[in-house]
Amino acid sequence: MDCKDLVEKLYFYLDGEVLTEEERKAIEAHLELCRKCCEKYEFERFLWEMVRSNGRNDSIPEALISRIESVIAQF
Amino acid sequence: MVRTKEEQKKVFQELLIPELPALFRTALRMTRNREDAEDLVQEAVTKAFAAFDRFEEGTNFRAWIFKILTNTFINNYYRLRDRQKVPSLEEMEEETSFQPSFEGITPEEVLLNTLTREDILRAIESLPLEFRTVVVLVLIEGFSYKETAEILDIPIGTVMSRLHRGRRMLQKLLWEYSMQKTPFEKENEKGWTAKTL
Ligand SMILES: [Zn+2]
Repeated sequence: MDCKDLVEKLYFYLDGEVLTEEERKAIEAHLELCRKCCEKYEFERFLWEMVRSNGRNDSIPEALISRIESVIAQF
Repeated sequence: MVRTKEEQKKVFQELLIPELPALFRTALRMTRNREDAEDLVQEAVTKAFAAFDRFEEGTNFRAWIFKILTNTFINNYYRLRDRQKVPSLEEMEEETSFQPSFEGITPEEVLLNTLTREDILRAIESLPLEFRTVVVLVLIEGFSYKETAEILDIPIGTVMSRLHRGRRMLQKLLWEYSMQKTPFEKENEKGWTAKTL
C-alpha cells in the first residue's frame, strides 16, 4: 500500500466501513511506517471526533419528551 | 403477532424513547430552529406510529424512524428558499487543510484552542441540505453508508460522494473560522498557510 492508496481508504477506515482484513492490516502497517500519513490520520481522527462529540451534545428539552409521551397516550 | 393497541403503544414507546435525543438533535441540525425541530419530531413520531404495523419487528428501528424523520422534514419543512448554493467542483478543488509550520504546535491544538461548539454547529448547519443530512447521519449519528443510503433513498455511491464533499466543505469552514480567531493571526503570512492537498 502506498500513500495514494492510503488516502483513498482512510475514510472507510475512519468511518468503520467494511474493509477486508487484508486491507485493514495494510492500512495499519502503512500508518506505522509513514509519518506523513500517520499525521494525516491522527488529524482526521481528531477533527471528526470533535465534530461528532460536539454534534451529539444537545440535550433534549424535558417538555418535548412529555409532549411526545402524551401524544402517544392519545393514539 | 396480534397485539392490542395498548400493547402496540408500549412496544413503540420502548423502541422510541431511547432514540428521542438523537431524533431531536438531527431535527435541530435540519430545521436550524428549536421550535420547528420540536414540531418535526412530534410529526415524525405521529407518522411512525401510524405506520408501525408495517414495521418488521427485529429490523432496524433506528434507521426506520430516521427515514420517517428525514422524509417528513423534506416534505413539510424544507422550503425552496432554504436552498443553499452548492459549491462548484472547481471551488471544492481549492481544498484547504490545516498546515502548521510552527514547531511544536499541532493543527489539533490550534482547533482545540480556537473553535467552540457553536462554531462547529454553525459550520454543520451552513452546509447545503443534501450534504448536511449525510454528514449528520454518518459522522454524528454513526449510521453506516448502507443504512444512510436506505434512509435517504439514494445510491450508496451518492452517499459516499456527498460525504466526501461534505467533509471537505466542513473542513474548509472550520479552517476559516479558526483562522479568523487564531491567536497567531499576525504570523499567518509566513507561519500558517492554507495549503492545497
Ligand atoms: Zn504514507
